[in-house]
Amino acid sequence: MEGPSTRLCASQAGLQSLADRRDSSGDAESDPARDMKTHFRVCRFIMESGVKLAMRSVPVVTACVLYHRFFERASLCAYEPYLVAMSCMYLAGKVEEQHIRTRDIINVSHRYFNSGSAPLECDKDFWDLRDSVVQCELLILRQLNFHVSFEHPHKYLLHYLLSVKSLVNRHAWSRTPIAETSWALLRDCYHGAMCIRHTPQHIAIAMLYLALNSYGVELPVGDKEWWQVLCEHVTKADIDAVISDLLQLYDMEAKCI
Amino acid sequence: MDKDLLRQCLTYHGESLFNKLKCEQTENPDFQAVVSDLCKATYERGEGQGSPLVEQFIARKADILFCPSWKTTTLQEEEHEEEEEEEEATEPCAIMPPLELFMEVSYEERRSMLYRDLERGDIVVGRINNIREYGFFLTLLCMAGGLKRDIEDLELSCLCHIREIPSTGSHDDPLSYYQIGDLIRGGVKDIDRYQEKITVSLHQASLSPSLKHIKLGVITQEELPIHYSRSVRAAADSSETYEHILSRCHGYHNPSVVDYLLKKVGISDTHPPSMMRGLQSKLFQEEDFASAIRKKQSASWALKCVRAGVDHFKHGHHVEAMNEYNKALEIDTNNVEALVARGALYANKGSIMKAITDFELALESCPDHRNAKKYLSQTLVERGKQFEGQEKLVTAEGMYRRALSLDDSNPEAQEALHKITDTIQKSIRLREEALAKEQVKAKGSQTSAEKLRKILKEEKRMKKKQKRSASSTSSSSSSSRSTSSSSSSFSHRRSKKKKKKRRRRSEHGNKRHRRISSRESRKSEEGKRDTKEKDEDEVEWYPAPPNTSATFLNLKGGLEFGERQEEEGRNAEDKRICQLYSLSAASEDEESDSSRRERKRKDSRTRRWKNSRSPDKQEKRSSRERRDTSRERGKNNNRRDSDSKRRNLDENTKRRVSCSSAESDYSRKSSFHSEYSRHSGSAPRMRHDSSKRSSFDGGRCESRGREEICEVEEREKESIEGGAAEENSRSDRHSKRSESAGSQSGSTSAPQARPKKDLPANLLDIFNQIAQFEKEKGVRPKK
Repeated sequence: MEGPSTRLCASQAGLQSLADRRDSSGDAESDPARDMKTHFRVCRFIMESGVKLAMRSVPVVTACVLYHRFFERASLCAYEPYLVAMSCMYLAGKVEEQHIRTRDIINVSHRYFNSGSAPLECDKDFWDLRDSVVQCELLILRQLNFHVSFEHPHKYLLHYLLSVKSLVNRHAWSRTPIAETSWALLRDCYHGAMCIRHTPQHIAIAMLYLALNSYGVELPVGDKEWWQVLCEHVTKADIDAVISDLLQLYDMEAKCI
Repeated sequence: MDKDLLRQCLTYHGESLFNKLKCEQTENPDFQAVVSDLCKATYERGEGQGSPLVEQFIARKADILFCPSWKTTTLQEEEHEEEEEEEEATEPCAIMPPLELFMEVSYEERRSMLYRDLERGDIVVGRINNIREYGFFLTLLCMAGGLKRDIEDLELSCLCHIREIPSTGSHDDPLSYYQIGDLIRGGVKDIDRYQEKITVSLHQASLSPSLKHIKLGVITQEELPIHYSRSVRAAADSSETYEHILSRCHGYHNPSVVDYLLKKVGISDTHPPSMMRGLQSKLFQEEDFASAIRKKQSASWALKCVRAGVDHFKHGHHVEAMNEYNKALEIDTNNVEALVARGALYANKGSIMKAITDFELALESCPDHRNAKKYLSQTLVERGKQFEGQEKLVTAEGMYRRALSLDDSNPEAQEALHKITDTIQKSIRLREEALAKEQVKAKGSQTSAEKLRKILKEEKRMKKKQKRSASSTSSSSSSSRSTSSSSSSFSHRRSKKKKKKRRRRSEHGNKRHRRISSRESRKSEEGKRDTKEKDEDEVEWYPAPPNTSATFLNLKGGLEFGERQEEEGRNAEDKRICQLYSLSAASEDEESDSSRRERKRKDSRTRRWKNSRSPDKQEKRSSRERRDTSRERGKNNNRRDSDSKRRNLDENTKRRVSCSSAESDYSRKSSFHSEYSRHSGSAPRMRHDSSKRSSFDGGRCESRGREEICEVEEREKESIEGGAAEENSRSDRHSKRSESAGSQSGSTSAPQARPKKDLPANLLDIFNQIAQFEKEKGVRPKK
C-alpha cells in the first residue's frame, strides 16, 4: 500500500485546487458524524458529476459503492475523498461498461469546484490530475482486492415494480408516480454507507414500500404481504431500518449542503 | 400540486400528516392553494397509522412528491404494451407470475379486483366448455394482455356470441370450427360489473389499439402466455417462490435489464429523479455538462495550437505551422480559426483550391467571420486569375463576382472584374475582325491552285521570319492570341522556359502565317518575292533528324493541356534543330518516304502524327500518344469548368476535323486518293519513284493547301453558326476558336512545311536533294 499512497500524495498537490471546498475532515480525530457528512458531500459530488457526465444510474451507484467500500477500509485522513470519488467514477464506468473519459471527469470536477471557471488548459496541471486519477484507480482496485462488481437493488426494484403494478388498477397506477419516486429514493440512498450495509433486495423493497406509502397506495393483502412474497426473509423491521437510514440521509442534506 | 394524489395520501395517513404538511409547506403557495380543499377531506383512519418519521418525510418532500411534473410515466404507459409479445419470445426482463398467486389473496378479493380492473380490449385465454347455437362459453384460464392477474381458479365463465366469431365465408356455421376443450384467445368485449358477466369477441377490432397485433382465435398449449405456465408450476410446487423464479429467469440476468425496464416504466436515466433538493434536475445547467465543457475546452486547445501555428508561420516555418493547424483541427474539427489559418497558409503556398475549401468550411460554421471572408475573396481573385490565364474568362469573371460579393471593398477584385469584362468585349470584337479576315482569305484562296501554292509559300516564309525574330515577346500580337499564349503558358508552367519560348515563336509563326496568307491571297502579285522566300525556306527548313526526337521527347514531361500550337512549335523547332544539325534534305526525304510507306502499312492505327519521319518513329509515336493522353487529361481538366464545357465541345469537334484532315493527309484514304489524283495525276504510282517524287510532291502540297483552305472555310462556317450563342460564352468561344483556328492552320501547315520544303518546283532544292541523296546512298541502303 505504501507505494501508491506516497505517489498519490505527490499527485495530490495537483489536486489541491479541487479540494478547496473540502472541509477539515482530514483532522486527526475521526468523528463518525463528521465523516458521514463528508461522505455525503462526496457522494453528492459523484451524483452530480454522474448526471453531468451522462452516466446511467447503475454506473453512478457503482461509483458510490466503490467509494463507500474504499472508505470502509481506509481512513478519510489518508486519502483525498474527492480524488477517490473521481477515480471511483472512472472505475465504475469501466465496471459497468459505460466508459467515461478521464478528461471529462476532470473537466466536470474542476467546474464543480470552481463553478463558472474556464475549462482547464492542456498543461502540466491537467496531466498531473489525470495521473492522480489513474493512480488512485489502481489504489482502489488493490484496496478492494479487485472485487469491484456488485449486485445492485436496481433490477430487483424494477421487477418488483412490474409485479406490483399489475396488482394495482392501471388508472390508479398511472396517476401515481410510484416508479419515479422509488427510483429517486433508491438513487438517493447511495449518499450514505447504508447502501452497502443492507442487502439489495431489502433496499429495493424498502424503497418501493416507502414510495407506496408516500402516496397512500394500498395493495391487497393475502396470507402474506406483498413484500414478504418478493423476498422471503425480509421482515418489517428490515424495511423500517432501511427507511430510517434513508430518512436520516434526507435530514442530513439540510445540514450538509 | 396534484390535489387528488395529496388527498389519497392524506386519506391513507390521517390527520397527523395533514398537520405536518401545514407545518412544513407553509411557504409553498401551491400547497396553500389546495389546503382549503383538503380540510374538507374525511380521514377514515385514526392517528398513528404510519410512522411519524415517514409522515415527516412526506410532509417535507410534499412539494416534490406531489408536483405534477414529477410523474412522467403517464404518457408512455400505453406504448409499452406493444412490446408484450416480443417480450414473450426474447424475455429481455424476467416475466413473473402474478404476485397475488404467492400472496395467496382470498378468492373473493381477487374476483372483485378482477371485475374492478378488467377492461374492454384486454385479452383473455379460456377453454371452451359449452357450445350452443348462439355461441360458445369459455372458462377463463389466464390473462394474455392488458392486465396480468391470476384468474385460473376464479371460475370465470364468459360467452362468445356467434356474432363475435369471424366467419370465413365458405361455411355457414362458424361454430363448426370450434370444439369443446379448445383453447381460445379472445378480446374482452363487455364486462357487466354488477352481474359479473363477461363477453368475449374474436374480432381483432375488439382489442385495444396497443394489443391489435395479437391474433385471436384457437391457440395451442404452447401459445399460452409464459407467466401462466410459470404460475401453474409455482402453484404446484411450494418451493417455487417469487425470488426463486426471478433468479432463474433468463431476463433477470440480462445485463441491460435495468435500461430496458427503465424505458418500460418510463424513467429517464439521463435526467434521473431525486428527492434530494440539491439534485433536482432544474439545478443542472447545460454548460456544466461534460460535453459542453469538452467542446469549449477543445476549442480553446485548438486555438492555442492555431496561435502556435501562426507564430511558426510568421517566422517562416511553414511546415511547423501546417502541423499546428492540423493538430488544432484534429482536436477540434471545423475550428474556424484553424481553418482560416490553414487556408491562408494554403493560399500562400499556392494551393488555391485547398485554401478555398478551408475558407468555405470556416464560413459554413461561422458565416460572418471577417478574415475568412476577406481571405476567401482574395483567394477567389487569385483563382479567377488562374482561370483567366486558362482563358476561361467567364469562369474567371464568376470568381471575381463571387469575390466581390464576399468583400465588396476588395479593390483587386473590382479591378480584375473591370479588366476581364473589357477583355471579353475586346476579344469579341477581335474575333469578329478575324472572322471577317478569314472569310476574305478563304474567298481569295479558292481562286486557283496556283495561287494557293503561293500562299503556302508565303506562309512558310513568314513563319520563318517569325522564327528569326523569335526572341520577341508575343504581347504585341492580338488579344485573342495573347490569351491563348497565356493559357498555354499556364498549362505548361512547369515545363522549361526554353520550350515556352519555342512555342511562342511558333505561335507567332502560325498566326502570322495565317494572316499573311490571307493577305497574300489578296495580293497575288507578290509571287516573285514568294519564290525568293521559298528558296530561303528550303535552305532553312529541314525536318528533325532522328536523334533530335529524343531531346524533345524529354521536354514533354509535364504537359497538361498540350495545345496544338505546342505541337506545331515543336515541329517548327524540330526543323530548326534539323537545320542546325545541317542534315541533308535528301536523307530526310528518303526517311519521310519510308515512313510514309510504313504509315500506309499501319493504316489501321488510330493515331497518326505528322512528323513521323525518323527511323525511330515508333518511339516517337508512342511518346506522342503519351502526349495525347496528357492532352486528353487537359481536356478533362477543362471540362471541369461548367461554362467552358460547351466551348470545349466545339473545340473537340474542331480538333476532330483537323485530326481527320491530317489523317487523310497522311494515311491516304481512298477518298483523298481521288482528290490527289485529280491534282497530281499519277501521284500514287509515282510515290515510290524517288526520281519523280519532286513533281508529285508539288501536287500533293497543292492539294494539301487546298485541303487546308477548305478546312478553314468549314471552320468559319461553324463559327458563324455558333455565333448566335449568348454573348459571354460567345466571346469566350470566339477567342478560343481563333486560337484553335490558328492552331488548326498551323497544324496543317506545319506538316506541310516538310512537303513544301521539298517542293519540286524549286530546282535548287532538287539539286540539293539529289546531292544529299547520293551521299546518303552510300551510308544507308535504300528502302
